[in-house]
Amino acid sequence: METDREVMARVAGQDETAFSVLVERYGGRLLAVARRLLGSRADAEDAVQRALLQCYTGASSYQPQWAVSTWLYRILTNVCVDELRRRATRTAYGASYAAVDSARPREPRRDLDLHRALARVPREARVLLALRYAEGLSYGELARIRGISVNTVKSQLARGKALLREELGKRGILHD
Amino acid sequence: MTDLATANHLDDLLHDYFKPGPSPDGLARRVLGARRRDAEELGRLERSLAIQATPEGVSLIRTGKLDKPATAAARRLAEQAREEIVEYLAGRRAFFSVPIDLSGTPDFQRRVLEAAKRIPFGEARPYAWIAERIGHPHAVRAVGTALGRNPVPLIVPCHRVWRSDGGLGGYLFGGELKRRLAELERFTPILAGSTATRIVCRVGCHQAASMRPEQRVVFGSVEDARSVGYRPCKICKPLSAA
Repeated sequence: METDREVMARVAGQDETAFSVLVERYGGRLLAVARRLLGSRADAEDAVQRALLQCYTGASSYQPQWAVSTWLYRILTNVCVDELRRRATRTAYGASYAAVDSARPREPRRDLDLHRALARVPREARVLLALRYAEGLSYGELARIRGISVNTVKSQLARGKALLREELGKRGILHD
Repeated sequence: MTDLATANHLDDLLHDYFKPGPSPDGLARRVLGARRRDAEELGRLERSLAIQATPEGVSLIRTGKLDKPATAAARRLAEQAREEIVEYLAGRRAFFSVPIDLSGTPDFQRRVLEAAKRIPFGEARPYAWIAERIGHPHAVRAVGTALGRNPVPLIVPCHRVWRSDGGLGGYLFGGELKRRLAELERFTPILAGSTATRIVCRVGCHQAASMRPEQRVVFGSVEDARSVGYRPCKICKPLSAA
């Protein structure tokens, strides 16, 4: 099987078949991260499509010393963080610019609680938690994805988890 | 329950919650399809723009032909405006720094334009909001007319003024472009940090112009950036922008 880097080299030559291979390998994983960060499946698909488009058009700037997954997650988290910012600043008037995420489909109760608890975690820590738990990425990879130090990754994750534990404790999730 | 058990339980919960699914069918095709549709119209607009300036600032932006700016200072400003507009339409700029000259504009219209200029990037306000802000709450129609004659569209973002019911309203470059600009702003980040300098700038700051794509990290706020070790740029002052 072709390695990720070999596939990327072909994507850089605007090879659409290679791009399909890359999407097949990473689409589901990118979507899982985006879905949990953004809440709705529609917004997550939107974000993943944006990210993949940037990946395709910017493939020539990919540097082979980066793991392809690291590079993809950098692009995806850039898109998701900006979407989260927009939601936070969105006013009553601004709502017309973007669909409001109101109708949540039926989800297991526990997922809803986790979603709400995660929403209480500051954005940067939330992004790191999503990458850590969806992908099992190392501290070093997380640091590279968000352009921060390994120590900052550790302290942000610890802080995020402490907040989650507190929130989930309040909801009785961690004491069953 | 011990601390360790709690910690493990939280790890299990989170692993389960973030478990990836399969790649959605046809995703690559949809992405490539979107690419072909993207940017066509914005590119056409960019190529058709003519820009007039005085030594004080940009005074007129229209499609078609305009007289060339008369002085070297005016030419420089027109040139700067064009560069900023090109970056803006390419999603690489979230603010304009080129000055505008509204001295030839009637008082009522100038106040309308100044109110419109305060609408944040990526957001929208109704015509009635402008009317209220300038102290003429019943002059909604006149506000629409004043915006329709905006001498410096894009830089004064009259495209961010929509109808109260969420409808587009008119636009001097046409409704389709108004919708495109909303979409463009929706997907243009406003704050980006450089992993090389650990400085966070407004997107479009010339300090960040040399930033390579792999050095770019988008942030949701200056506070977020600070919390992970970035400091705000002293040139574009992202804090005062937010």
